[in-house]
Amino acid sequence: MTAETRAYIARRVLLLVPLLVGLTLIVFTLIHLAPGDPAAAFVSEQNLDPQVLAQIRKNLGLDQPLPVQYVIWISHVARLDFGTAYTFNQKPVIELIAERLPATLVLQSLALIVSLAIAIPLGVISAKKQYSILDTTATTGAFLGLALPSFWIALMLQLFIAVNLGWLPVSTPGVDESGPGRIKFLVLPLIVLALPTVAVFLRFVRSSMLEVIRQDYLTAARAKGLSDATVTYRHALKNALIPIVTVTGTQLARLLGGAVIVEYIFAWPGLGALAFDSVLHRDYPVVLALTLLTGAFILVVNLIVDIAYTFADPRLSFRS
Amino acid sequence: MIELAAPRPLTLPPAGREHRSEASRLWRDFARNRLAVIGAIIVVLLYGVAITAPSIAPQDYRAFNAGQPLKPPSAQHWFGTDRQTRDVFSRVLVGSQVSLSVGLVAVALITGIGVSLGALAGGIGGRVDEVIMRFTDIVLAIPQLFLLIAAAALFTPSLTTTMLVIGLTSWMSTARLVRGEFLRTRSLDFVLAARSMGASTARIALRHLLPASVAVIIVQATLWLSFAILLESSLSFLGLGVQPPTPSWGGMLADGRVDMQRAWWETVYPGMAIFITVVAFNLVAAVLSTDLITTIDVLLIGAATPGRCGGTIARRARTAPGRRVRPRRESRSGSS
Repeated sequence: MTAETRAYIARRVLLLVPLLVGLTLIVFTLIHLAPGDPAAAFVSEQNLDPQVLAQIRKNLGLDQPLPVQYVIWISHVARLDFGTAYTFNQKPVIELIAERLPATLVLQSLALIVSLAIAIPLGVISAKKQYSILDTTATTGAFLGLALPSFWIALMLQLFIAVNLGWLPVSTPGVDESGPGRIKFLVLPLIVLALPTVAVFLRFVRSSMLEVIRQDYLTAARAKGLSDATVTYRHALKNALIPIVTVTGTQLARLLGGAVIVEYIFAWPGLGALAFDSVLHRDYPVVLALTLLTGAFILVVNLIVDIAYTFADPRLSFRS
Repeated sequence: MIELAAPRPLTLPPAGREHRSEASRLWRDFARNRLAVIGAIIVVLLYGVAITAPSIAPQDYRAFNAGQPLKPPSAQHWFGTDRQTRDVFSRVLVGSQVSLSVGLVAVALITGIGVSLGALAGGIGGRVDEVIMRFTDIVLAIPQLFLLIAAAALFTPSLTTTMLVIGLTSWMSTARLVRGEFLRTRSLDFVLAARSMGASTARIALRHLLPASVAVIIVQATLWLSFAILLESSLSFLGLGVQPPTPSWGGMLADGRVDMQRAWWETVYPGMAIFITVVAFNLVAAVLSTDLITTIDVLLIGAATPGRCGGTIARRARTAPGRRVRPRRESRSGSS
């Protein structure tokens, strides 16, 4: 590792601090710009006693000026204390999130693995047999796939596979279902999440392979008498996959965003559904925590991906 | 002086041909491609339908057909009727108004914000660049759908809110692309020539860098037309977009979902409408940038790659056909 690379990594890590602070500022401002009184969530419409409302606002710290509220909030956040939810039985926010996290993690990581498992071989074949029927089909499929709204795919799968054919359940029965019984509930949400991701990865693997495949060192490898498979998978794919690392990192934001719709449609008890419910209930602490945590998570993942990149591709150089 | 301003032989426009602007190059490439023309015809038809929908629709989209709930498609009701006995075909036609207008307004916002921020960052550089690009990174880190539903729900959902929140949460890839384009063009000979003749930063940005980025901006805007329509339909589907009684394709899908088992036509047709619209816009965008795949790649990279790293991908994006810009002859800069 050169001194420049080391300096680059150090700079990126240090940069994370202002990025995270900026993230809290943006998220906080957004939530508090919105009209409407979060305290109203606690009182019923009928007996709207201004005194009670004022007391609730005081208890929640909503009577303080915004900068003060921000400082109080951020000092709690620094200790990973996101307060208690306004709704959801007024549970601590962090507990709520911990409860829902596994369901989302299972679904998302499976979607990522499945997408890569489908896209990498398809992309390689597509690149090797450029303009063949398979390549054209894959390219057209990816193009059309990106134009399909994911919630419509979900509805159509529910309609044709779950309802008409009865092969799979329409949606999840509830939180308690676990173990192998859960797999059949996983399939449809998984397909919906994976389809657009496969399309994206396929494009990247294909173009990345096409770029690598024409390079001299592959001709050299072939000239030396290595088999086609060795050249393709050991020599070409290894280099072609480097950019895929970055794309994988950046697809996370997409996947997590997609979680809202997929979890809503299939009643999957994860973070996406929690985000949607908390937004509907104007549950500010939950909305704040979720937006902040996913944002921070993605910033950190991107940092790790970028650093991994410098190791994976030593040809990269960095000017300071 | 003349020698300094003269471009390298390679960048000279072909002899005997009048100078072509970026826009005319785009137009020429475009007219050659059959798929693009098909896409463009569909787009024109869609706008035609949207504008005339209330008069060409067989029924008022609010009209009830007493005693005919959830009737399958027939000669009388081409796409069947919904639970409230309304004609689905008429509602799909009128629904195009929402999708297409949200697309236009949101894209105007996206392009306005994205080009301004990207031009500031790429044109001025230094601290300004750093602050704008880091801000972009942060906004990109929050999943867009999270931002969208939070913003839409907290500010009362409506047609205007939908347009605004989509515009305000989608400008990042445009900003990045424009900045990149500015940075790249800034070091080309014709810009150096203009600078050496004493042109101000603002003049260089507006007269030289911005025109050279027009191709990228047009492609981005076309792509975002389709992405904005997808986002709008998702929001309306979740009940956080356009509110009833205004029919929107996403909202119709949400309604139809309840009766999906008995009335497939309620969910199939509005979905097809979204699909066809998005494909048509994507076709146009794809051919504008001469290659569909690169377009999608560029869009994803622009929307995705964090910071200034990302070696190979960024390199590929830079050489993507859609971003190819010819340096122009600098005959006018002498008068500045």
